[in-house]
Amino acid sequence: MSNLYERLGGENAVNAAVELFYRKVLADGRIARFFEGVDMDQQIAKQKSFLTMAFGGPNNYSGLDMRNAHKRLVEKGLNDSHVDAVLEDLSSTLRQLGVAEKEVKEVEALANSVRNDVLNR
Amino acid sequence: METAPGETVLDALLRAGLEPPHSCRAGQCQTCMLRATEGRPPVESQNGLTEAQKAQGFFLPCICRPTAPMIIALPDDAGAPQEAAIREIEPLADDIVRLRIETGSFAYRPGQFLELIAEPGLGRHYSLASHPEEDAFLEMHIRLHPNGRMSRRLTDGLRPGHKLHIAGPRGSCFYEGVNKDQPLTLIGAGTGLAPLYGVLRDALQRGHRGPIRLYHGARGANGLYLADELRALAKAHGHFVYIPAALDAGGDVAALALEAEAPSAADSAFFLCGGENLVKRLKRDLFMAGASLKAIRSDAFMPAAPSA
Ligand SMILES: Cc1cc2nc3c(=O)[nH]c(=O)nc-3n(C[C@H](O)[C@H](O)[C@H](O)COP(=O)(O)OP(=O)(O)OC[C@H]3O[C@@H](n4cnc5c(N)ncnc54)[C@H](O)[C@@H]3O)c2cc1C
Ligand code: HEM
Repeated sequence: MSNLYERLGGENAVNAAVELFYRKVLADGRIARFFEGVDMDQQIAKQKSFLTMAFGGPNNYSGLDMRNAHKRLVEKGLNDSHVDAVLEDLSSTLRQLGVAEKEVKEVEALANSVRNDVLNR
Repeated sequence: METAPGETVLDALLRAGLEPPHSCRAGQCQTCMLRATEGRPPVESQNGLTEAQKAQGFFLPCICRPTAPMIIALPDDAGAPQEAAIREIEPLADDIVRLRIETGSFAYRPGQFLELIAEPGLGRHYSLASHPEEDAFLEMHIRLHPNGRMSRRLTDGLRPGHKLHIAGPRGSCFYEGVNKDQPLTLIGAGTGLAPLYGVLRDALQRGHRGPIRLYHGARGANGLYLADELRALAKAHGHFVYIPAALDAGGDVAALALEAEAPSAADSAFFLCGGENLVKRLKRDLFMAGASLKAIRSDAFMPAAPSA
């Protein structure tokens, strides 16, 4: 069985999901404030990094990188409820794209596995 | 500097003790982006960049294993300044002038911007309204700010024949990566018309076939400069429509354009130019209406940093 990233469709799957996902995040009143004020072109590249990681694709992020990337947000109040919201938006993006439930759960679990690093605890 | 076999440009820079910004090291986050000013970066090192960025030689050093020599620069590096001579400074509206300058060889695409340097320490960015194949001079449209340093230079000091310097060009606001049959929508306010005027003429010259709409906003009718030229272009090209909007007559260009363009946003290519608030609002709302971020090119005319 090929790995998760390949089963999802690799880079093409990331490209198909990234704008849908970013729109959901910006429209999600629970978390939108964390994404405001940042240049949208720079932000969407980060969203691609996020999706590639959550899809189990090639990346070189360490736990420390995740801590540093979100430190500023934790200072602004980032907590479990916000991670839950991101995971919800992620799952609904995948379902909208017709991804099977088994893979949706795998992606969720993978993203969730860095929760403690993201929240710097 | 040499890269070892199989080594990426980012690794080579790090090995040399430089501290280039970087993050994902997998070609996604674009934190480390650089530009090749000479030589072609390998195709795979431009993965995920826009056509306009590729055309300018941008690449991602973290996934770049060069096969031939390149000269690389930071993304904001405008290159060495070159001399230019002023040919014309004429009013276009109450507080807008047209500046025409002549220089030696200067390759640019209409809609890009250059740095105009009146003296050391006084450099400002201005967008190019001219077309390299149709105009002999570089043309800019400059709004005169009452206490602006460059603005004052243009009204009080500089005259035709005077010399100054320019650097560049830079920017991704040009007709590249647009499908000739898709709707092309240009939205700007004030001197945001300058790059749009350049892009419009480039699109027409390159045979754009889809519908073209240009929305131009100004505070009053006087600010709707080049209206005659734009009406003439609309008459000559059946697929081009010019939509002026004067705020004092109730025309909010952003609201007007958003309402009309939202239904077809997913299929269109957009160019957005002018003040920061306008550009940010349009970019966000068009994206939320379904436009792809890759199909939105924009330049926000931010004021220069106080010291510059
Ligand atoms: C990519 C880019 C492209 C640009 N293209 C053009 C162009 O085609 N035409 C054009 O007219 N300008 C353009 N600008 C803006 C231009 O570079 C200068 O910022 C502007 O001309 C003011 O310069 P100045 O020296 O006259 O004023 P400064 O001495 O820099 O500023 C004087 C005062 O005016 C205020 N101010 C300056 N600019 C603005 C502004 N945009 N909105 C509100 N207040 C302001 C400043 O805060 C300051 O108080 C562009 C800017 C960028 C970044
Ligand atoms: C659930 C697990 C999460 C993962 C795996 C994850 C992953 C990532 C990655 C890979 C980056 C790019 C880092 C870089 O290269 O700079 C990033 C940046 C970012 N993340 Fe997350 N993230 C998670 C949760 C969240 C949450 C809950 C929020 C806010 C609600 C958030 C907001 C951001 C923001 C705003 C950035 C950009 C930071 C910047 O540009 O400085 N992330 N994330």
